[in-house]
Amino acid sequence: MNVDIYFDHAWEEELEKRIEQDGPWGNWPLFQSTVNMETRMMVPNFEGLLAPGFLPELNPLPHQLEAAKRVVEEMNGKAILADEVGLGKTIEAGLVLKEYLIRGLVKKVLILTPASLVSQWASELATKFYIPAVAQKKFYAWDQHDIVISSIDTAKRSPHKEKIYEQEYDLVIIDEAHKLKNHKTKNYQFVRHLKKKFCLLLTATPIQNRLDEMFHLVSLLKPGHLGNEGQFTERFKKGDRQVQNHHHLIKLMNKVMIRNRRQDTGVKWTERKVESVKVAFTEEERSLYQALESFVRSQPDEVRSSFSLLTLQREACSSKEAVFFTLKNMAQKLYGSQLEFPQSFQDVLTHIQAISRNSKAEKALELIQTINDKVIIFTEYRATQLYLQWFLKQNGISSVPFRGGFKRGKKDWMKQLFEKHAQVLIATEAGGEGLNLQFCHHVINFDLPWNPMRLEQRIGRVHRFGQTKDVRIYNFSIADTIEDRILQLLYEKIHLFEQAVGQLDAILERMDIPNMQEHLTDIFQHSRTEGELRVKMKNLEAVMELANEWQEEEDTSHEKRNSSIS
Amino acid sequence: MKNEIHLFLENYFKAAECTFLESTEGSLSVKLTPEIDKELMNRPFYWHYAEKTGMKGEPLSLTLITDPIKAPGEIEGESIHFGTPRLHQIFQSAKGHTGFIRLYEQRKSGSRQPLHPWLLVNIKVSYEANHKKDIFYSLGLSLIHGAIQEEFMNVLNRKLLVSKIPDFSFTITPLIKPKSGVKRLQRFLISRLEQENHDWAVRARKEWEEDLLLLDYFYEEEEKPEAYFIEKAALEKQYAPKIHVSIINGGIVYLHS
Repeated sequence: MNVDIYFDHAWEEELEKRIEQDGPWGNWPLFQSTVNMETRMMVPNFEGLLAPGFLPELNPLPHQLEAAKRVVEEMNGKAILADEVGLGKTIEAGLVLKEYLIRGLVKKVLILTPASLVSQWASELATKFYIPAVAQKKFYAWDQHDIVISSIDTAKRSPHKEKIYEQEYDLVIIDEAHKLKNHKTKNYQFVRHLKKKFCLLLTATPIQNRLDEMFHLVSLLKPGHLGNEGQFTERFKKGDRQVQNHHHLIKLMNKVMIRNRRQDTGVKWTERKVESVKVAFTEEERSLYQALESFVRSQPDEVRSSFSLLTLQREACSSKEAVFFTLKNMAQKLYGSQLEFPQSFQDVLTHIQAISRNSKAEKALELIQTINDKVIIFTEYRATQLYLQWFLKQNGISSVPFRGGFKRGKKDWMKQLFEKHAQVLIATEAGGEGLNLQFCHHVINFDLPWNPMRLEQRIGRVHRFGQTKDVRIYNFSIADTIEDRILQLLYEKIHLFEQAVGQLDAILERMDIPNMQEHLTDIFQHSRTEGELRVKMKNLEAVMELANEWQEEEDTSHEKRNSSIS
Repeated sequence: MKNEIHLFLENYFKAAECTFLESTEGSLSVKLTPEIDKELMNRPFYWHYAEKTGMKGEPLSLTLITDPIKAPGEIEGESIHFGTPRLHQIFQSAKGHTGFIRLYEQRKSGSRQPLHPWLLVNIKVSYEANHKKDIFYSLGLSLIHGAIQEEFMNVLNRKLLVSKIPDFSFTITPLIKPKSGVKRLQRFLISRLEQENHDWAVRARKEWEEDLLLLDYFYEEEEKPEAYFIEKAALEKQYAPKIHVSIINGGIVYLHS
């Protein structure tokens, strides 16, 4: 076998010069010592991980080491890291990066993350891995620094894009890669045009992806691994939501994807204690809730089709401010930007004005006072978030807001404020990703998302590595409302809160609904009435129960097999 | 027992003539010299200012903790181990100072003795494809008769070598020029490498071909888009097997025959 051999000739030239000039010559003990160090830092084998030896203070978990080893040894540095939320995908990516840096296989690195996570990545790489990564701030960072972290939104824009295309990256890491699932987006096209030798895609939610999305994600990493689009459709797709040759597909996926679940990590997890907190409306609140129904019915058809009663009713269960905000947007959208509300809105507005108290907020206050420790409140609505901040302040409780739209610096600042000074953090949904709040173990779900995965992401902020206490989750709902029924149907029936994503995943996989999220969106956003919603939920529930039964059967037969062997 | 990093640092600061303030089994405090301060402490403005104003610059002290368990509890300093930027920095500095040596063997006997010139070259050979491995070679070449000695560092480590020619010794002038000596050692290494069994490269080429095949399937159209060529070039970077030979350091050593 012929292999190209490259010599570096600089040394012999310099040697000649030194002989002519009679020096300078090195010190012999230091020379010996340097040679020792050099051999110590060499890479003795093609296989194995050197990084842990270089990171004595890190203590990675077994599943993280195993993942890094597989990426380097078997996957040739191209992998989707898809561990469940909170299992340390960043640690795995850091280990892979460190390993390649030590081995000298990687020098030039680009890390793309949501804007909110840029500084967190930089500080984790610096403190845990001694990797000097630079958060991109200046235009010239792209060619001046070897390891650059940036938000994908900045990177994909001119003039950055062109500059990045010129770079030859040894490794590209993309965090929250599920945002690349649509191959028609600019993000996707951008990543596809990067020159990259190795590539890691990090995502916690591959299950949300439709079959097509999975195909496009893998094709970004390793084009052709799942065939081309035509072959893929022919082999695996059976209708829009069904999969054929399931086992074959899983086998192929396992060559490019690592997915650890909570239960396979062998780590003792603290428990999740879930409590449903049922709150009763005041009379005024109840009458607003009821008034919404006749309000929506009174609207002309084209208005009724542009938003749903369910949305407004769910908002009414959160705060009157949330309802008001939506009404204002509606009025503007429908009747232009006039200051006055149209006549048909007046009735609802009167009901809103009549409300003087927020029953849920009062309950929350009472709870926060008894907990007397750090609490995170999640709400779906920004208006509620603002109201709660004001309300808590009125009652002498310090709180900080958290939103996805905050700039990186502000997010870090808010997190710090919460840790050091405030008792409560009030976060909207978008604030969820990548936020690590292990120092807190009380979560109030002020209102509930209709997507269980999003709920898991909320809880995952606190129930993750480093959490030493049992996590207490309080689910608020208003009695005899749509919210109450969502809670019962979706969350209580399938014991979603106690089940970590792992089990839920297994169930969803078995159901052969690769796009659970869409399914739920469909049910909750497009159902016109509660009756329709109830029927659709009943169907889903039945499927889930069936899947659950199968799972249990399989588990017991598995146990039997095991016991008969022993 | 002090660990290897500790021993290396001792040698480094000794060679650089820094003053040792305190040394324990797991820590090391030194007062730097101005030269080493400039190399390690990254404060060019201070030194620039000091030189401009004619003020005598005051070098800093540095405390490094080489073993947190053995270091005294009250000591404050930088933790240093494989993987830290500080060790890397000092290592690079050490490499810069020890690229070339010239040494003479010293023996006790008083009679007048000739010293034979040898060329020492320490080499790192890196086998590189999708995976990587390094091998260390230390080669010696007699600059008189061209004999090659392997594991030459091991031979030298057992001898007493000094930087000035000892009394009663004299050196024999090389017949082979050092530069062509390096060429001879390179040829020796090439023939050695060519005889080796390069399974690793065969495997890498096979995986490379497999991935290329997948890529061609993926873009089956006649007119390949740009993304195809970008990916193809990336695959070459990822898999193409190559061997890099780089000289770590070396020099001229005069030895008794």
